[in-house]
Amino acid sequence: MAFVSPTKRDQNGSYTFSSRPRPVEDRSKYREPPSEQTQSNYGNIMYDRRVVRGNTYAQQIIPTTALPDPVEVQRQQETRRRTVAAKRAREQCRTRTPEALQGRKHIDVQTDLYLEELSDVIVASDIECQTDAFLDKPDTPLFIPAKSGKDVETQIEEGELFDFDTEVQALLEVLVGKTVEQSLEEVMEEEELAGLRAQQRAFRELRNNELEEVLRLKEQERRRSKEKERRVAQQKEVLRKEREVAEKIAARAYTQQYLADLLPAVFTSLRSHGYFYDPVEKDIETNFFPWLMAEVNNSLEKRYTARALLDTIIDDVAHKRQEAFKDTQ
Amino acid sequence: MAGSPYDPSRAPVAYGRRAVPQLFSELQQQEAPRRMRALASLCDLLRDPERISCTVSGGFLEQLKVLLKDEDSIVRAKTCELIHLLTAHRIGRQALLSSSFLPHLSELMDDSSSSCRRNVQRVLNRLTLMPAGAEALLTLVPKLMLKLREEEEEEEEDVQVLLLSTLSSCSCLDPLPALASDGVSLLLHKLSDSSTDIRREATAALMVLSVCEDGMRQVCEEEVLPVLVDLLRDEDVEVQANAAGVIMYAAIINEGKRQCLELDVIPILLSLVSQDGEEEKDKERKKALVMYSLRALTALAEAPQGRCLLLEQLPLLGRRSEAAEEDQDIRRNAQNAVRVITWTPCNTGDL
Repeated sequence: MAFVSPTKRDQNGSYTFSSRPRPVEDRSKYREPPSEQTQSNYGNIMYDRRVVRGNTYAQQIIPTTALPDPVEVQRQQETRRRTVAAKRAREQCRTRTPEALQGRKHIDVQTDLYLEELSDVIVASDIECQTDAFLDKPDTPLFIPAKSGKDVETQIEEGELFDFDTEVQALLEVLVGKTVEQSLEEVMEEEELAGLRAQQRAFRELRNNELEEVLRLKEQERRRSKEKERRVAQQKEVLRKEREVAEKIAARAYTQQYLADLLPAVFTSLRSHGYFYDPVEKDIETNFFPWLMAEVNNSLEKRYTARALLDTIIDDVAHKRQEAFKDTQ
Repeated sequence: MAGSPYDPSRAPVAYGRRAVPQLFSELQQQEAPRRMRALASLCDLLRDPERISCTVSGGFLEQLKVLLKDEDSIVRAKTCELIHLLTAHRIGRQALLSSSFLPHLSELMDDSSSSCRRNVQRVLNRLTLMPAGAEALLTLVPKLMLKLREEEEEEEEDVQVLLLSTLSSCSCLDPLPALASDGVSLLLHKLSDSSTDIRREATAALMVLSVCEDGMRQVCEEEVLPVLVDLLRDEDVEVQANAAGVIMYAAIINEGKRQCLELDVIPILLSLVSQDGEEEKDKERKKALVMYSLRALTALAEAPQGRCLLLEQLPLLGRRSEAAEEDQDIRRNAQNAVRVITWTPCNTGDL
């Protein structure tokens, strides 16, 4: 079965066609009609009705109009019908071999001068062939073709193409010059860097120098100001102490003066408060007199009670006498 | 030469403007040998400042960050070398600081390969050349000091030198972080190292640290001054100069003066100042030494015992302060010293 790949436009727009390879059908040499009709989509180009055959000089070119003229179409149909009819008519009028009589059969007979045997059997003969075994043969000699043509030679002599020394000078100048220039640049760069570094170092030394001076002066200043403060504080302390001492002296003088007549005043005040006493007198005062007074009080009390009693008795008697008097009235 | 087909260790270099971008796209390939070759070619190319500006403006630094975390230590070391080349110019340094490379670099300080560590220290050292870089590195100061302490066991001299110089550059800006991480005692240890470079850098760092009052106090407390007095007799002029510088700063505070006078430092300083018969170029190199010694003597002259000693030596200093002395700075220093020595309380109008 043939497989024709669809013709497709290539990416570049060119036309491509490809079809699958198909095996050749094996048929016998003298073709017999195949037992089964293979429906093949292809046909032999020789028997294709679409292929133009014969002389094309006087060929009628089919007009490629999409819509053929209806009149034309009708006329073509007419001619077609007429040819068909004519053909049928001719067929009918054609004389054919009459039918065989009863009991007889028509048979094909060769009428040529020389008879030919017709048979189905195809004469076949087997032939074999075999190559001889390889024989040792000597190496083929080198094929040296015969000399043909004209020999020509040429040679470049010294000094014909170019003069090396003059030419190379320019190149060398450039090469060496560039290398030297580059190396000089690098050396200058390194020198510059070294100079910068030396400058930096010198600067750093000077800076350290001045920094030390600054720090030293700062420290000196700090020391001196501290010293000043200390001395001022010291002086203040001295003044304070002096003042304190002066106050102490003044206080001492005052107290001395105050305490001068303190002693007699104290003694008098004590004496006046009775802290210095005569013990006998005190004793009489504290022990004897209270007892005496108490005894006096007691005796007086007794007298009072007696008098009170007497008063009541008198009163009683008086009352009784009064009542008795009343009674007698 | 980079790009020559005969050199198998370098990747071919494209022409002109395409060189750097093409090499960076090579760096993104998966195969390690190709990356190595591209790195080698880039190292050759980036010595040119124009290529550096091309790299920075093309924004290829992020790729370098990725490469810093690569497993192969040679790749990491080469990348650090590349970054070191970038820091040779201001554009590169600025770009590095602005794209926050510092965390990655500080991780690499603990790397296992020593060449990688060395290259990272070189990068950090270069970064401190600009003030912004020094400021950024201030945060790393504790880690740097830790590294210094550890690095002793491995005896990598140049790494120690680099670390010390990075520390001194950072501390120029702000000495407090280094002082807080106990810098003075660490540097004291380094002062007695056998290598001249280490001693020079350690004394320079100590000088930077002793500029602030805290540092001066620590220098006196940690008994650094005896070692420094020994270093004043060192062979290398720079070591002597730096030691004199530390003494000059330490002698500003009272404690320092007292210790210096105990250690009898004045004769040594006088001998340093009074060297005659030197050649011209020696004078150049010794200028710093003479200046610092004169300043130290000035500071010590403020103490009474110092003044007594120095009053006897006035003629020597007088010679230096004369007009015969060509160097203006030394002359000025000497005059200053003489003035301080001959100061008496009734001389000055104010107190």
